[in-house]
Amino acid sequence: MPKKQEIDAKDNVSEKIKIDYDNIDVKDIMAQIKKRISLAPEPPSEQEDDQTEASGDVPYYTPEPIDEGRKARLKKILFKMMKPFSPIIKLLVYPIHKELRDTILKLDETNRRLDFLYEKQSQQFQEIKRAIDVVDGKVNNFNINTNKRIDAAFKDIHKIKEYTRLLHALSHNMVVEMTKLKIEEENIKLKARIMEKDFEFLGRKEQALEKEIYK
Amino acid sequence: MKIAFVIQRYGLEISGGAELHCRWVVEHMKKYWDVEVLTTRSFDYITWKNFYPKGTEVINDVPVRRFSVVRPRNPERFGRLQNDLLINEHRLEDELKWLDEEGPLSPSLIEFIKKHKDDYDYFIFFSYRYYHSYWGIKSIPEKSILVPTAEKDAITIFTIFKDLFRQPLAFVYNSHEEKDMINRLSGNEYIPGDIVGVGTEVPDTFSTREFLDKYEIKDDYVIYIGRIDENKGCGELFDFFIRYKKEKNSPVKLILVGSTQLKIPSHPDIKYLGFIPEEDKFAALNGAHILMMPSFYESLSMVTLEAWAMQKPVLANARCDVLKGQCLRSNAGFFYENYAEFREGMSLLMDDPELREAMGKNGVAYYSENYTWDVIEKKYLGIIEKITKEK
Repeated sequence: MPKKQEIDAKDNVSEKIKIDYDNIDVKDIMAQIKKRISLAPEPPSEQEDDQTEASGDVPYYTPEPIDEGRKARLKKILFKMMKPFSPIIKLLVYPIHKELRDTILKLDETNRRLDFLYEKQSQQFQEIKRAIDVVDGKVNNFNINTNKRIDAAFKDIHKIKEYTRLLHALSHNMVVEMTKLKIEEENIKLKARIMEKDFEFLGRKEQALEKEIYK
Repeated sequence: MKIAFVIQRYGLEISGGAELHCRWVVEHMKKYWDVEVLTTRSFDYITWKNFYPKGTEVINDVPVRRFSVVRPRNPERFGRLQNDLLINEHRLEDELKWLDEEGPLSPSLIEFIKKHKDDYDYFIFFSYRYYHSYWGIKSIPEKSILVPTAEKDAITIFTIFKDLFRQPLAFVYNSHEEKDMINRLSGNEYIPGDIVGVGTEVPDTFSTREFLDKYEIKDDYVIYIGRIDENKGCGELFDFFIRYKKEKNSPVKLILVGSTQLKIPSHPDIKYLGFIPEEDKFAALNGAHILMMPSFYESLSMVTLEAWAMQKPVLANARCDVLKGQCLRSNAGFFYENYAEFREGMSLLMDDPELREAMGKNGVAYYSENYTWDVIEKKYLGIIEKITKEK
């Protein structure tokens, strides 16, 4: 009785390899191995981890809208209250203002630098484009040359084909002519044989007449 | 019947695939035919420099005529030319130049074949890709038989080979995959040929116990026998084996036998034995659980046949069509394309002695049916008989 067994060589995979020990079929076992590998769980990727974090149970907070009229009134009251302190506030704010100004200047400088780099990069792009055009031209030339060679080869093939066709027609015509000549030869042979017989008959007739004459 | 075997190198010291294959066939067929070997004076397959003395010598009762190589190969120039031909559009003349560069360039061998073609009934050429096969077969197609020993190699697309494969009287193929590839490349299905390969003999005496003691091997092991080289897939084998060990926490060892051209990783479970005597090799195979065959290119793996002769299953590289085909036909080996398949195949075989035994039995049956010397000799005789009748 043939033995059959199921092997689970990898514990975390539920798919089992079925083997008939009395009739090993490598093709079948390999197919099972491939299937088992395809069913094995993939290790979790980083993207999946991010998604898990993003989809966690974090409550979504939406602030309550403030009434516009109340907001304006509140602002007015605050300004009135702060008015006596305005020189002190200005004094405190000035260094921040200076810093802000400096930062803006730096940003401006950075922008100019970026513009310069962008322009330079554009020039380089133009140069690369020109180089690509040159290469493109060469590739086109190469293609044209290759096509020319292919065309020439096709022409040669066409010529050979034509020549073969002519040879074929020639041999066909030669066969026809040879057949005609053969038939003609047979006719002539036949005529010659008839003439030979006529000649013999005339000879015999001549002899008979001679006998009659000289009797 | 007088038969000449033509091969690029020949000698007892040469252990290369096609050369050893040829010598074994010659030594087995000498009882049926008057055999002679025509070869070059080369020993080194990279440069083909003259090494053996010129003239005729007798090796195991077989006369061997050696012819000089007029120009050794320059490996760098040859490599550059081959790359150039493989990448760029080229002409037939360039391929013939490549053939000269590849060598072994021995015009005197070809001249001898042309001059003495009437002295031999047939010429059996080994290895399609070399100078001697191309020009030899071109000189006497009406008497030539080719043993291509072709692998899935980029150079097979060269036009000269398409032409060459249509020339001989008959083919002796190593495998179904090799035959399909050559038929596909050249459309030469009409030329008679048989899938023969090469036989193997298991030595009468060897002791696995002595081998294990001699090399101090105590644990279960899998074995790789052959040239340890990147092209033979050994780099990938080391990676997969180390990863398997880490994942499975298995005590299994990897034993390596043969010459090395690759840095073997220093790992406590990878043991390199170097060259070992023939008896030790069979003892090592006998003690192993699995033969690992990671090679990408094989026309016929002799060591795989030896493993099957020893009732051992094989774990082979599926990217080598021949090995995959042999595993499927024999039902005596698994194959892998990636680490996951390697792990599964290895686990199945290592964890299940009953499976190993069953596959080992399949292996020995396949070997007995196809690769014993009786079978091989009959196939060679059959091919010669067939082409002689068709003459």
